[in-house]
Amino acid sequence: MKLLIVEDEKELAASMVSYLKNENYTCEVAFNFKQALDKIETSDYECIALDITLPGGSGMQLLKELKNNKKTDGVIIISAKNSIDDRINGLRLGADDYLVKPFHLSELAARINAIIRRKMYKGNNVIRFNEIFIDTLAKEVMVKEEPVELTRKEYELLVYFLSNQRKVISKNALISHLWSQEMGTGESADIIYTHIKNLRKKLNEKGCGDYIKSLYGMGYKLTDQ
Amino acid sequence: MKLQAQYNKISIASTILVLLIAGAGYYFLLQYVLKDQLDETLRVEQVEIQDFIQTNHSLPPATTYKDQRIEFKKSDKAFHQSFRTLMVYDPDEKENELSRQLNFPVEINGQYYIASVTKSQEATEEIIGLILLITLGLIILLSMLLFFANRFLVKRLWKPFQTTLSSIKSFDLNAPSAIKTEKTTIHEFNELNENISMMTEKVVKDYLSLKQFIDHASHEMQTPLAVVNSKLDVLIQDPALNEKNLQDLQVIYDAVDKMSKLSQSLLLLARIENNQFSEKQEVDIHIVAKNIIQELDEWISERSLTVSNEISDLKVNMNPQLANTLITNLFINAIKHSNKQGNILLRSDKNIFTVSNPGTQALDKHLIFDRFWKSEYSDGTGLGLAIAKQICDHYGFLLQYEFREGIHHFSIIF
Repeated sequence: MKLLIVEDEKELAASMVSYLKNENYTCEVAFNFKQALDKIETSDYECIALDITLPGGSGMQLLKELKNNKKTDGVIIISAKNSIDDRINGLRLGADDYLVKPFHLSELAARINAIIRRKMYKGNNVIRFNEIFIDTLAKEVMVKEEPVELTRKEYELLVYFLSNQRKVISKNALISHLWSQEMGTGESADIIYTHIKNLRKKLNEKGCGDYIKSLYGMGYKLTDQ
Repeated sequence: MKLQAQYNKISIASTILVLLIAGAGYYFLLQYVLKDQLDETLRVEQVEIQDFIQTNHSLPPATTYKDQRIEFKKSDKAFHQSFRTLMVYDPDEKENELSRQLNFPVEINGQYYIASVTKSQEATEEIIGLILLITLGLIILLSMLLFFANRFLVKRLWKPFQTTLSSIKSFDLNAPSAIKTEKTTIHEFNELNENISMMTEKVVKDYLSLKQFIDHASHEMQTPLAVVNSKLDVLIQDPALNEKNLQDLQVIYDAVDKMSKLSQSLLLLARIENNQFSEKQEVDIHIVAKNIIQELDEWISERSLTVSNEISDLKVNMNPQLANTLITNLFINAIKHSNKQGNILLRSDKNIFTVSNPGTQALDKHLIFDRFWKSEYSDGTGLGLAIAKQICDHYGFLLQYEFREGIHHFSIIF
C-alpha cells in the first residue's frame, strides 16, 4: 500500500515517513504543491497526509484536483490552523479527516489506518492481530472467537495499539488520544496505567497473549515479538 | 461639578458683586450730587434774603412754602454760616422729615439775627430710592438673563463636544467604528476631534496588529512543535534507550505538551476576540456538564472526589463549542483545586450556574481571571479561567468568584 506525505517541513516529513513505513506501507513525500500535484496525477495512493499551507499553492487546491479527477485516495489534512471553517471546508472538499499540528505520529498512524480500513473494506471494518479480532463498526472485540466486554476507553486504547503495532506509544500520545482536555501531568500516568492494566486483564482472561509492554510508565508498546 | 455650572457660578457671582459695588457707588455719588444741589438752592435763598435786607433794611417775613421754611432768630453775636442735616417736624405730613438747613447771620441796624433756610430732603430721598430700586431690578434681570443665556448658549456651544464624548463612550475596540464628530467653527473642538480620530485609528490599527501577531505567533509555533513531537515519537522507538533516557524524554514530552496547550489557548483567546465563533444555538448546560463529568471521570475518581450535578433546566443561546470550553474550564479548575475527597457541586438557579468546590483559602478575586495568573499549586497554563472570563465577556455573561465557609464558588449569570 502506498502513502503520500505532502509536507513542506522536511524534518516533519522525514519523521512521518520513518514512523509510518513498515512491511505494509511504502511512503512517498512531496515538499511542495508542484511535486504533490505531479504525484497525485501519476499514481494512486491509499492515503494522503496533506498539509494545507504549501509553497506554491494550497492543500485545498490539491483536494479539488483529486475530486475533479475522481480519485478515491483517502486524505487526511494536517494543518497548523485549528479552525472550524478550515475543517469544514476540507471535509466538504472530500478530505476524510483533519489533524491539527502538533500531533503525535501514533495518532496520525491510527487515523490513516482508520481511513484505509473504511476505503478498502467498504464498511466491513475489521482489525486482526493474532487471536484478537475487532469489528470496528459494531465496536466488538473477540479473542479466540469469544467476545470481550471492554469499556469505551479500553476499546479505544486497544484499537489505538493495534493501529500502532510494535511501536512505542508515549503516555502523552495515549492521553491526548483518549481525552481532549489534558488535566496536567501528575495523575495522568496512574490513570493510563490503570486503564492498560484493566485492558490486559480482560484480554488475558480470554486466553489472549500478553502483548502490551510498559516502558517504565512513560510509554507502552503492543508487540508479539 | 459640570463645567457649565462652574462657569455659571463664577459669572453670576461676579456679575452680582460688580452690580452691588456699582449700585453702592452710584447711591453715594447720587446722594452727594443731590445734596450739593440742595445746598446750592439754599444758598440762592440766602442771597435773596441778603439782597432783601440790603434794600429794605428789615427782615423779610418768615415763610413756609411747600417744603421750604425761612425763619429768623435774634442772636447776640455774629457767627459763621453752616449747613446741617436734621429732622424737622412737618405739620402737613404729620411726621419728622429729613431736611437740610443753612444757618447764616444777618445784621440789621447792629442787631444780629440767625437766618435759617430749611428745605426737606424727602424728594431727593425718593429719587435715590427709585434709582436704587431700578438698579436692583436691573441686577436681578441681568442675572437671570445671564443664567439663561449661559444655559442655552453654552449648551449649544458644547454640543460638538457632547457628540464626540458620546461617540467615545460607545467606542468598542472589538467592534471599532469611526468616532462620530460634528463639524464646528470652534477651533478647539475641531482640534480635539481630529486628534481623537487620529488616536483611535492608531489604537485600532495597533490592536489589530497585536491580535494578528498573537494569531500568527501561535500558528507559527505549531509546526516547530510538530517537528519536536514527531522527532520524540521516532526517538522513543530506539530500543537502546535506558530508563534515565526515557525519563528525560518524558520531561521533554510534557514541556512540548504544555507549550502546544499554551499556544492553543492563546489562539482560542484571539479567536474569541476576533468573533470567530459566531454560530449560535440553544445549549443545554445540564447535558454539557453531564458529558464533561463523564469525560473526566478518571480524574475525578483519581482524586477521590465526588460530583453532584444539580443543574435543572438551564438553556443558553451560545456557541456550543464555547459552552463546552466554558463549563470544562470551570470544572477542571474545580477538580484541580479541590481538597481530596471533596465534593464538587454543579447547580443552577434560574439563569445562574455555579461550580463549587472545597478549598483552603480565598483566592484574590481581582487576579484569578487574569491571563497567566496561577496559584502556587497550579501546574496549568494559567489561561483556563482567563478563557472562561473571555467567553463570558464575549456574550455579556457575568462571571463571579466567591469564597464562603471554605468553599470556592464560581458563578456565571447568563
